[in-house]
Parts: sequence; C-alpha cells; structure tokens
Amino acid sequence: MLDRRSLLATTLAAGAASLAAPRILRAQEGAYVVGTLFPMAGPNAEYGTIFTNGIQLAAEHLRAEGMLKRPVEIRAQDSLATPQGGAVGMTKLANVDKASYVMLGFTGVSKAAAPIGTRSKVMMINGGGVGPDLANLSPYFWNVIPLVNQEVQVLLPWLKQQNLSRIALIYVDDPLGNGILQQLKDGLPGAGGSLVGSFSIPPATQQFAAIAARVRDTRPDAVYFASYGAQQAQIIKQLRDNGVSQQILTYSAGSIPSVVGLPESDGLVFTSQASDWSAPDPLTQRFVTDWRARYNSDPTSYNQNYYNAMRLFGLLAQGLEKADKPVTGENLREELLRVRRFPMVGGEGSFEDQGTMSMPMQINRIQGGSFQKIA
Amino acid sequence: MIAYLLNLATLATVFGILAASLNLLIGYAGIFSIAHAVFFGIGAYTGAQLAILFIPDVLLACLAGGVLAGALSLCLALPALRVRGEYFVAASLGLQMMAVTLFSEAHSLTGGHGGLVGIPMPTLFGIDISEPATFLVFCLLVLGGVLLAIRMLMRGSFGRALMAIRDSESAAEAFGKDVPRLKTLAVGLGCTLAGVAGALFAFYMAFVNVESFTLEQSILVMAMVIIGGTATLAGPLVGVLLLLLLPAALSFLPFIPPTQIGAVQQLIYGGAMTLLMIFRPAGLAGQSTGRR
Repeated sequence: MLDRRSLLATTLAAGAASLAAPRILRAQEGAYVVGTLFPMAGPNAEYGTIFTNGIQLAAEHLRAEGMLKRPVEIRAQDSLATPQGGAVGMTKLANVDKASYVMLGFTGVSKAAAPIGTRSKVMMINGGGVGPDLANLSPYFWNVIPLVNQEVQVLLPWLKQQNLSRIALIYVDDPLGNGILQQLKDGLPGAGGSLVGSFSIPPATQQFAAIAARVRDTRPDAVYFASYGAQQAQIIKQLRDNGVSQQILTYSAGSIPSVVGLPESDGLVFTSQASDWSAPDPLTQRFVTDWRARYNSDPTSYNQNYYNAMRLFGLLAQGLEKADKPVTGENLREELLRVRRFPMVGGEGSFEDQGTMSMPMQINRIQGGSFQKIA
Repeated sequence: MIAYLLNLATLATVFGILAASLNLLIGYAGIFSIAHAVFFGIGAYTGAQLAILFIPDVLLACLAGGVLAGALSLCLALPALRVRGEYFVAASLGLQMMAVTLFSEAHSLTGGHGGLVGIPMPTLFGIDISEPATFLVFCLLVLGGVLLAIRMLMRGSFGRALMAIRDSESAAEAFGKDVPRLKTLAVGLGCTLAGVAGALFAFYMAFVNVESFTLEQSILVMAMVIIGGTATLAGPLVGVLLLLLLPAALSFLPFIPPTQIGAVQQLIYGGAMTLLMIFRPAGLAGQSTGRR
C-alpha cells in the first residue's frame, strides 16, 4: 500500500524528471529546432494531427532535397487549444527547446503565445486560424494562410454569377464570425445580393434545430456558416435534417475530413487558397503525389498550409545559410521581410507588413466524399 | 530552462491562490461551487481593463479584481443560502454557464471571444516588475499572505463556525450560529481571493479571453483541491503542483511521436489520477475525517 510519503516522493520525482529531462532530450547536435503548438488531445485533436502531418511531409522533403546543411528537429507541444496551454507550451518551446521557429494554430492559443514568442524573438507561423484579428499580432507572428476577409471577397462574384442573392449567415460570435458578418454586410450589396438573416451561435453549441427553423423562415438562396471544429458537421447535418435544402457555403475550414466525408455535405461550396491538385508545378505535384501515396487520400487545405509553413522555414534557413548568418528567430524574420515572395504549394505566397499573406484563391465543391475546384 | 521553470512556478502560484480560495468554500464551509472560474475571470478582466485603460499597477489590479469579484459573489451566495449539497452544485453550474455567455457577449468589457490583448507589463508603485523572477516573487508574497490569512481565520471562531456548518448545518444553527451570514462571508472571501488570482493571471498571460474561465477550468481547480486534500492549507498547493507539473513533466518524454503526444499524455495522466484516488481518497495531503 502506498503511503503519503511515497506518493509525495513520486510527485517530487516527476518534478525532478522535468528538470533532468532536457539533458536526455538535448537536441541532435547542431540541428535546427522547430516547434509545433497544436491541440493533440481532446475534441480539437483532429486539427493537431492534420497540421502535423503536413509539417512532417515537408520536413521529409527538406531532408530528401538536402536543402539545409543541418538536420531539422521537430519538437511538439500540446496546446490543448487553450490560451493557458498555449502560454505554457510556447514558453517551453522558446526557453527549453530553444526553437527559433514555431508553427501554431487556433486564435486563443496564438494570442497567448504571441507575447511570449515576441519576447524570446521566436518566429511564429499560423496556418490554421483565419480570423482578421490575427493580423498585426506581433512583428514575429505571420500567417501562411489568407485571412477570412480574402476568402469572402473571392466568393462574392461567384454568388452573383450563380444568382444566389439572398444569403443567411450562421456564425460563431468571435472575431472570425464577426469578420465574415462584416464582409458579407459590406460586400453583398455590391454583388447584387443581401444578407437576409444573421444568427450568432456560441462555439460549444451542438443543437441547431431552432436556428435551422429561423434560417428557413428567411427564405434564403444560400446559407453561409462560419464555424470550426466538431460543430461544423453538426450544423450541416442539422440544417439538412431540418429541411434546409438550399446551397450551403463556408470558408476553408470546410476542407477537413469530418466535413468532406459527411454525406450531408454533398454540394457544399467552400473557399480556400489555391489547392488545385492537378496544377502542373513540380512543388504541388510532389506534395500531392507523396501525400496520396502515404495517406491514400487527397490533402486538405490545412495539410497544404502547414506543409507550406514548414517549407517556408526551409527556404528562410537556406537563405540565411547562404548569407552565412545564424538561423535565429530574428534573422528568419529579417530574411522573410527581405524576400517577401516564396514559391509554395498552390502558388506564390506574398507576405505583407501586417503579418498576412496573399495567395491565389479558389472555390471548391464537395461531392461524393471529396472536393473539386469549381472556380 | 530557468525561464520555463519560472513560468511554471508563476502559473502554479497563481493557481495556488485560486485553489486555496476554493478550498475555503469546499474544504472549510462545505459549499461545493463549480463556478469558481467565473470569479477568477471577473478578477482577470477587471485587472486587465484597469491595466489597459488606466495604470498597470499589479497591486491596484489585485485590489480591484478582488473587490469586484467579492461584490459579485452575492450571485453565488444567494443560492448558497437557500440550497445545499447537490442542489447548490446545480445552481453554481447555472451561474457558470450564464457567466461564460456574458463573458462572450459583453464585447466592450471582455473583448468577447477575441479577448483582451496588449495587457501592459506589470508595475508596482511605478516600478517595473515584469521580469519573470520579480513577478514570481510578488505572486509568492500574495500566496503567502493568502495562506496566512486563511490559517488565521480558520483557527479562529469564524473558521470553527464554518467547519461546524460544513459538518452539520442544522446543528450549527441550533447552537446559535448565524448560518446565512457565515456562508455569505465565506463565499465573499473565497471569491475575493479568486479575483486576486485572476488579476495576477491577466498579467501573467498578457492576454485573457473566455476560454480560460470555462466550466473545464472550474472543474480543474476543484480537482486540484480534492486531489491535494480538502480543508488543509497544503492540500490545494499539492494538488496544483501535481495537476500542473505532471503534464509538464510528461511533455519531456522523448519517445512519443508528435501526433500521439496528447493522447499518450492524457492516458498516463488519467491513470495516475485514478491510482491516486484509489490509494489516497482523502487527497495527497488530506487527513481522515476523524483527524481533521
């Protein structure tokens, strides 16, 4: 039987292990350490796996190309998708693992990690969150994904072309949802349309029957929803179950497998950065071919984003190696500001002063468990 | 490494204050609240707004956060006076749900889901205390003060009266104790201290949003108190160290692949907690009911 002393000793041993572990975990001699700060357990773990898979493939390609003189070592931290988890994880990556480049996602995590990364001069890259509040977060915080305002701008001409003028919006009441609401309010009149109803929902809600009834009452031509995570599939399913048969629209979060694979998602249209898997450029072809060989499915936009995020590290570090400069967060940032335009999967990415990136965009339709570019 | 340890120690200290404040309710007064994160949040938002709009003085922020959280604790005290046991748990759950909605919707006060960013570095009487070691010392001083105050109060007539209410509310009332007043005071004091912890948390994070004050956070703090041992000074601190340091220590395990790190950590963590509750049902630092 364990007594109090032995249990306390166990606790102390756990603490001591955390002190001693860095010696065990000392980075492979001379390796570049890059960090990931994603939710790896719980309801958002699907995203962590999707993001990490893209990064791992890019790291393998960097290695195979012999792009860098030193190996790259990836250190993962579970952010738990919470600000607190983000702060603790970022502190460890910056101060213990000495990562100069950290890839992260989720708005709350990004905002909590940004001050810590900025103090430690760590380059932070988001490829998941698209809320407009992720612009101008820190000089060290960059997005390799076009933010949501760019996505709505691409959709508006298509709506006009399809004669979809009456739009109802279901949105999570956060900066992402409010950003989309504002874009639609401002943009629809110019595209000959109108926002006939907007319905805000809390992020954790899973019941949408009442919302569906109210949406139906507005007699829309199309329903746009701005949500993320497990909630997305519930919205789609419950809209269809409650008799909303109109066109459903969303942004790039619609590319995750739990949405694409849902039978009720058939016909759903979503915007994303250019991800034409038949594009002839060698970078895209290599990414798609190797992805299909490994996972037996097409990649998602998030796989693409984080592949690009990891590749961006390779390109920046390569530039620094050529200039004979050390690969630090500060130098990586300087290199990014110097070059600005980088070849990426999906097209050329161009970085702007606000920490944002513009990239070619496209419109996709889900059909039979996969999605195709339609415009 | 030092910076990381200082960071963890600061977080543990802030949660130590929070857990000690909940212990006052659960351990000494027998009030099982699962809305403690609400008052932690009120303190955090108050401290953050004070720092952003007026002055980033951490002492003023703690005072303001504590006073507002204490004043609003009447929302919790009122149901506490009318119901007990599992009915109070349900009432506090309602308050927790309502508060999360308010935190999400009151954009001008809380920033909504986007939260409050750009909280300035903490100062104390105009002196910068943003260095991690200095801020940790300040947090430790606050924790020390809180523990001392709880110890003194619980050894006095107030503490004995609270424990009498915890053990048998009817008996305490029969002996002439003013149960409603004592319960209100206990809730007010516990929530004030939670508000102080919230203000420190806002400076520590430099960012606050509703995700830090959800039901999950309330349950985590309750787990810290119960696993550590209720109605003891050291119990909540041991619980905090275990629940915060164990996941941190597990993150050093070198053999876990990046995509499995969360799942493996949760399995080990959950297993350890289960074993702990089997072998130490009164908590790590807890004593049997007879010895308390």
